[in-house]
Amino acid sequence: MSNDILFFAEFSAGKPARSALELAAGAAELASQSGGAAVALAYGPGAADGAAGLGAHGAARAVVLGDEDRPAITYAPAAVAAARDGGLAVLAPATPNGRDLAAALVGTLHLPAFGPVRSARMRDGTLETEQATLQGSVITTSTPAEGAPTPSVVLVLANTFTPVEGGSGSAEVSQASGAEKSAFTKATVAESHEADARVVNLEEASIIVAGGRGVGGEEGFAPLRDLAAALGGAVGASRAAADAGWIPYQLQIGQTGKVVKPSLYIGAGISGAIQHRVGMQTAEHVVAINRDPDAPIGEFADLFVVGDLFQIIPALTEEIRRRKEA
Amino acid sequence: MKIVVCIKQVPATGADKRYTDDLRLDREGVEAIINPLDEYAIEQALRLVDDGTVESVTYLSMGPEQASEALRRALAMGGDEAVLVTDPALAGADEWATAKVLAAALDKLAPDVALMGMASDDARGSLVPGAVAAMRDLPLLSYGAELVLADGSARVRRLSATGYDWISAPLPVVATVTDQVGEPRYASLKGIMAAKRKPLETWSLDDLGLTGDELRGAALTRVTDARPPEEKSPTERLENLPAAEAATKIADWLAARKLI
Repeated sequence: MSNDILFFAEFSAGKPARSALELAAGAAELASQSGGAAVALAYGPGAADGAAGLGAHGAARAVVLGDEDRPAITYAPAAVAAARDGGLAVLAPATPNGRDLAAALVGTLHLPAFGPVRSARMRDGTLETEQATLQGSVITTSTPAEGAPTPSVVLVLANTFTPVEGGSGSAEVSQASGAEKSAFTKATVAESHEADARVVNLEEASIIVAGGRGVGGEEGFAPLRDLAAALGGAVGASRAAADAGWIPYQLQIGQTGKVVKPSLYIGAGISGAIQHRVGMQTAEHVVAINRDPDAPIGEFADLFVVGDLFQIIPALTEEIRRRKEA
Repeated sequence: MKIVVCIKQVPATGADKRYTDDLRLDREGVEAIINPLDEYAIEQALRLVDDGTVESVTYLSMGPEQASEALRRALAMGGDEAVLVTDPALAGADEWATAKVLAAALDKLAPDVALMGMASDDARGSLVPGAVAAMRDLPLLSYGAELVLADGSARVRRLSATGYDWISAPLPVVATVTDQVGEPRYASLKGIMAAKRKPLETWSLDDLGLTGDELRGAALTRVTDARPPEEKSPTERLENLPAAEAATKIADWLAARKLI
């Protein structure tokens, strides 16, 4: 058993996902506490060429699981082979792909699972994680049980770790050793479709302007887009707005959509139901604009503005543009 | 074609939840419901029955004896029979142990599709379906907005970063679906009456050929502390302001936090 900390690094279109850079920083932090190395498990289009570059973000080594555009779960057998080589923990992003790969490790190698966690550290050689459970009503601390097998599998929420920028190291790259035979490789992409509208990956946005039922319709999102553009952020939505067809499901925030942790979240016309709240409650700053002075979001927002979003948001956009130009 | 839908009984959304002194979820006197996201898996299975693709639907749950209430409720929505795996040795089961038990039960039931919700309301790790697939060496088709079964294979429509894909694998599979499959049906009065006569079996670990030792105390993880969340700083409120003034104040607030 080594003291290494492994992490999944997803690539698409030749670039590492933001989660890969965050987990590289997290793995490096934990590895410095455990006395091991941060090791990337890199997969997806661009992984072979880009794996060495993860060294600039904290990885000492990188194992390339594969470089093709296929379902993430098909990389599970190669990940299992890499995790069998040892390590104290494997960090996986709390995204659908990250969860699929993490689950494959847990089920194949019979490993303890943690998360989604909001923090993780090594304390006296033992992993310790912290997570919000029961819709955020309880915070728990967990460790592996006495004598549990390693590595521990840890699902990590977005923005739990901050990427290391401006580094210059290069990770030592190797290819995954012989993957074991597994039914996971039988999943194939039968068809691929682009969304009707251009969508951004909300999990990577540091500022999000989200709209809900109160936005009233597809055209009601126009002022939100203007505000997001002025702030350099992205537009998201509640499930109500996505269900109504006002905005693509890829932009839905909440329990069944994206879980986001931006530095600024502005919710407009969103009541703040628990299902939405669990998708954004770890945002650093929450501003809510709502007509209803009793909207639940008013109870957990940092700044709650009671009023008409169609008047306030354009005025705010204008004010921000004015200040940025000044 | 046969589907087994795995469901979990969870505390009702908004119910007062707490941990016991031994750091387990206190289920005493807490209103319990079918995990809301599992209802979409039930709905997906029943739609496949409605269109003639699937002949039988069995529900499977692991939990304390009172979880049979959740199974009866599911049977009231439709489907044929239910199995509850319950055993004192399973108290405090973690995701690995839960997967191990469900995998053993699914080995006995041998469905074409083991179908689950995308997450549970209480823990939200979403690791059980994939771990079950690994233990049974079956393909995993996860996060389907829709599940289609045809020609010996299963397909799910899954959102991608920029659109959606249809992911396909040969049967049998483990699959999970999201809340996009459509609103779960209500149990009719007739359905509730019919559910009372549908078979509901109870299995112990013995029945599955598993021992408490194999399950390592039902958990590879240990909760060392449970506490209420940190108090957040009080909300600042802006009310009854003209739009321009509200905008200036919001911009000031953002600037003070270096967000603009």
